[in-house]
Amino acid sequence: MADIQFSGVEKDILQELMNIGFGQAAADLAQVIDLSIELSVPDIQLFKACELRKHIGTEADSDQEFSLVEQYFLGKFKGIALLVFPATSGKKLVSLFGLQDQSNKPTQHLELLEKEVMMEVGNILIGACVGKITELLNDVVIYSPPRVMIQDVRNSALPRNLFDPSSMAISMKTVFHFEQQEISGQLLLIANQESITWLKSALNAFMEQYQ
Amino acid sequence: MITLLIVDDSPIARQILKKCLPKESAFSIIEAADGQEALEKYRQYRPEITFMDMTMPVMDGFQAIAEIKQIDPQAIIIAATADVQQKARQRIIELGALMQLAKPVSPKAVRNALAKAEQALREQL
Repeated sequence: MADIQFSGVEKDILQELMNIGFGQAAADLAQVIDLSIELSVPDIQLFKACELRKHIGTEADSDQEFSLVEQYFLGKFKGIALLVFPATSGKKLVSLFGLQDQSNKPTQHLELLEKEVMMEVGNILIGACVGKITELLNDVVIYSPPRVMIQDVRNSALPRNLFDPSSMAISMKTVFHFEQQEISGQLLLIANQESITWLKSALNAFMEQYQ
Repeated sequence: MITLLIVDDSPIARQILKKCLPKESAFSIIEAADGQEALEKYRQYRPEITFMDMTMPVMDGFQAIAEIKQIDPQAIIIAATADVQQKARQRIIELGALMQLAKPVSPKAVRNALAKAEQALREQL
């Protein structure tokens, strides 16, 4: 299958839309946890889908153990959203939700609580970010339920029907940091080749209103 | 003619903003791609109105607003940002920006912001 190229302008448009999408997501989450979230300039990369696992492993910083929330989005824009945190962030995230006083509870309960909090954070960030981007590009997506995996990014199940190994994939990454809490994470949106073709024409249609 | 300084690392965001300016008005437009460049352009051109993005490499919009206000306490700055968190909004106003626009900006929002900025300019006279 032929490689798809994004022009510099198309990458710029996508970067700006990711910026707007994640800005909305951060505002939605900040309302829930009453904490400000620092945003970074998004990074866009195209790569072969067969390198996807390697790409995610690199992005997640292989020196650290990490936790991952994954959620699929399905529309004309189709792919997987991955929210990656260092594994040590679980307890800090629990405290941000005002649930810190759980020290007398069994470990199993705390692990479940961490998973539930991460799932909620993932739901808010992924839903708001993907939702805003697709709204701006006149698409509607549906989501799979979020799934939390601890310390296991490279074994994330990436279905072959969504990511044909011979095709291209596109990754949009934003790094974020919770103010005054030592918690940083990354949101990766990875779309498949079918979406890239649609995305190129949707990005150009978006910009036509500003020509 | 009013001189506008448009600061954004995204050329697309700068293009969108320029297209949203009222057609009937003439502006002299200066552009900068980060806060550091904005400071240099501000010193050089002394624009009447500055549109400032907040999330940028090299120097972000928060620092750039603070430094421009040091150069010129009466500088009229409109933040145009994707960061729509309440605390970011509050910080932008505390730094002395006139107001803020949420991205993507619309012609109506830009027109209203310019009207408010021109009012502030008249009050400075």
